[in-house]
Amino acid sequence: MVENRPFLTFLAHLVLILGVAFVALPVWIAFVASTHDQATFLGGSMPLWPGSNMWETYRTILTDGVPNSGTPPLTMMMTNSLIMALIITFGKIAISVISAFAIVYFRFPFRVLAFWIIFVTLMLPVEVRIMPTFKVVADLGLLNSYAGLSIPLIASATATFLFRQFFLTIPEELVEAARIDGAGPMKFFRDMVLPLSQTNIAALFVILFIYGWNQYLWPMLITTDEKFYTVVMGIKRMSDVADSDPQWNFVMGSAMLAMLPPVLVVIFMQRLFVKGLVEQEK
Amino acid sequence: MLRAGLFPFPPFGFPMQTKRTTFRSYWLPYLLIAPQLAITLIFFIWPAGQAVWQSFLQEDAFGLSTKFVGLRNYVKLLNSPEYLASFETTVIFTVCTAGLSLGLALLFAVAVDRMIRTASAYTTFILWPYAVAPAIAGVLWWFMFNPSVGVLTYALQTMGYDWNHRLSGTDAMILVVLASSWKQISYNFLFFLAGLQSIPQSLREAAAIDGAGPVKRFFTVVFPLLSPTTFFLLVVNINYTMFDTFSTIDASTAGGPGQSTTILVYKVYEDGYKGLDLGSSAAQSVILMGIVMVLTFIQFRYIERRVQY
Amino acid sequence: MAGIKLSAVKKTYPGSSEPAVKGVDLDIQDGEFVVLVGPSGCGKSTLLRMIAGLETISAGEIVIGDKVVNTMEPAERDIAMVFQNYALYPHMSVRQNLSYGLKNRKMARSEIDRRIEETAAILQIGDYLERKPRALSGGQRQRVAMGRAIVRDPAAFLFDEPLSNLDAKLRLHMRGEIKHLHNRLRTTSVYVTHDQLEAMTLADRLVVLNNGLIEQVGRPLDLYQKPASTFVAGFLGAPAMNLMEAEVAEGALMLGGAALAGGLQARPGRVTAGIRPEAIRLRAEPGNFRLDYVEELGGTRIVHGHIGAQRMIAQTDLATELSDEMTAELPGAELHFFHAETGQRL
Repeated sequence: MVENRPFLTFLAHLVLILGVAFVALPVWIAFVASTHDQATFLGGSMPLWPGSNMWETYRTILTDGVPNSGTPPLTMMMTNSLIMALIITFGKIAISVISAFAIVYFRFPFRVLAFWIIFVTLMLPVEVRIMPTFKVVADLGLLNSYAGLSIPLIASATATFLFRQFFLTIPEELVEAARIDGAGPMKFFRDMVLPLSQTNIAALFVILFIYGWNQYLWPMLITTDEKFYTVVMGIKRMSDVADSDPQWNFVMGSAMLAMLPPVLVVIFMQRLFVKGLVEQEK
Repeated sequence: MLRAGLFPFPPFGFPMQTKRTTFRSYWLPYLLIAPQLAITLIFFIWPAGQAVWQSFLQEDAFGLSTKFVGLRNYVKLLNSPEYLASFETTVIFTVCTAGLSLGLALLFAVAVDRMIRTASAYTTFILWPYAVAPAIAGVLWWFMFNPSVGVLTYALQTMGYDWNHRLSGTDAMILVVLASSWKQISYNFLFFLAGLQSIPQSLREAAAIDGAGPVKRFFTVVFPLLSPTTFFLLVVNINYTMFDTFSTIDASTAGGPGQSTTILVYKVYEDGYKGLDLGSSAAQSVILMGIVMVLTFIQFRYIERRVQY
Repeated sequence: MAGIKLSAVKKTYPGSSEPAVKGVDLDIQDGEFVVLVGPSGCGKSTLLRMIAGLETISAGEIVIGDKVVNTMEPAERDIAMVFQNYALYPHMSVRQNLSYGLKNRKMARSEIDRRIEETAAILQIGDYLERKPRALSGGQRQRVAMGRAIVRDPAAFLFDEPLSNLDAKLRLHMRGEIKHLHNRLRTTSVYVTHDQLEAMTLADRLVVLNNGLIEQVGRPLDLYQKPASTFVAGFLGAPAMNLMEAEVAEGALMLGGAALAGGLQARPGRVTAGIRPEAIRLRAEPGNFRLDYVEELGGTRIVHGHIGAQRMIAQTDLATELSDEMTAELPGAELHFFHAETGQRL
């Protein structure tokens, strides 16, 4: 602070408190809704303070699922989300770290071409080429499977690029010292590159976990069997009930649960998360 | 979301850096790069190629035969009022969402930058919506604006405004803009804050000694120095609103009422998946890919420039 | 332990037309401490890296011991290298850094431990074996980097400007230690530096490189006293040798029409003449030397001045009285003569 201006400081606090309230409002409302029973909403009013039905709501959706919604219990959907998110996260990290290693530490014919092919993926968000991608997955018989949910999302130019940038900052002499010490490429990879990439891997883990958990369109397209529903897409299914109002307490309770894992990851791994995000820009 | 955040487009004709010392092997690098390449080819390059091919074809009404129609799908699109309306919707949506989320994020970042002890607490409280799925963001705001039980609908009613995004296109647009901006503030905030914190304190002190008050200082010193960050975020936000808000829109207004919130990417899905007009959907995909490429190119030119600083 | 023999070694980098090393022959004896010295870009590091196996050899042959190593991997050459930035593995403790190369060679646990203890004792790094490199000071890291070489007990040590990241005082200290260590271990060593003082003090034999070629090889004192070219003359010694375009006529050295020294055996004609600053004898009586300024070094003085239009640097003791006009005497025996065009010693 250059000079002390109490009024400006007060103003800044005010802005931030309003900002935090703005950011928190939708979630608070959702939380409150999840703590009331179905009857509360039938009257067309929305309470602003939590009710007494919280445990009942969460117990119902976790163990039985939202009644008459055609969706399985939340425990099942959340498990599916977790499996999908983890396969995507570990898959992306694994294939990116090895391909970046190949691109940085070897010179081989078609290296530049391979690099470009990977990078073209950046240009094409899933939503844009959704129909043909869906067809490929259908032809491969991957509909309604964990493989179909996750593998098409595993190729990642982002992670490859991040690792490449990081590897370029590892001092040359480290490879040279390792070679003199008798380390071949894979030994160098295991003994040097992986341990040195730890923080980067952890930061990417946070970002990619959120990315994987929050997938919506893709799971919606390729799962018709409710056994494979994920929680984020499931909420859309349960709120789209024909000819009747959604069961707000259950839908909002599910939304709360669907948010919980990624939000916890961000809050508890904030430092890594920030690093992961800001590094992407570099 | 993730895709929007990145930036890694290497310059065209960029010297492909490697290490001074590299390992020698004829087969190992290919083995290492194979999984990534295989997935990219099967799930990205091939479908994208299919989309391009498909965009030159037309199926008959029963899906029984397909014929090559050249650019006719494109011509039809560019003459279709619905498609042009969707373009306009996209522009309005993008400008409003990017403007709102960037503006609020900058405001919060400037405020947090003044804080010393409370900065990290505020940061945490503003940051967490990043983790909320765009689809969930849509559901949350859809609920608050629900015509029968929504809190905000009720609040607006007491002020004399009869909100109904199921009937009013404007209301629906406001709803998706709010939901999308709400979700994006955290990301923009983070980058603005990082940008602000990288401005040397000595510059502000110099400006203060030169007699500039806080407001003047912000507009003459701080904001110009933030312009690289602002530009970066602008491109990222355009990318975000054009593509990643798909789920937000699908979970709240589903493109309606009418077509009032059908942005381009939503129309690709609607025409292709729901309308089964594959040729038109594919042509739309190709146009969008073109837009993404231009955006990526701009992003990329920007990195290149910035690297030279 | 082993000798190293380079025959007509060349290196051309891909995409470059000018070779970085243009054909070097060098025979390094077993146990010898050879220093490669030269200005940056002279090819000394490239040469060292070719010996290490970190650069491919474009032409010629390198033999370590009795094996041609041209196509061998660095690890197979039985050499150890100390890098300029130390290249310690940042995520490993000192002990792990030392043992990594030994483990990769499948050495027995007990033997590894024994060698580490021994090395730690030699270098006095026993107290921080369990620490990570980032917890060490610059000098300590330097020791560990040397330890990583010593523990291997290789045929040869290769040093790539190992002291250039240290501050002046520590550099001096470590220089002494390296010398001491070599006296004790007698391992063949090739040492690259651009610091001529470091080169002079460390080398059994000095190799001065310029522009990808060897200018001169020999014992440091021989090179100092009998530089083979103006390049070597100018490179070794601080302050550098005074070099002047002059003429020898009738046994006298003529500079700008005045005789500087007489009674010379040299052939008449145009030459480049050189004289070391400490060889110039300055007297206070007014004469040919115009004093510009003086640098006090404590024990001695560096006197900067002119003889005619020629800049001249002299080193004197404190007893010499100074004045604006002085007489400089250039003893004929101390003069070096080089070919005026080629710069080669006459």
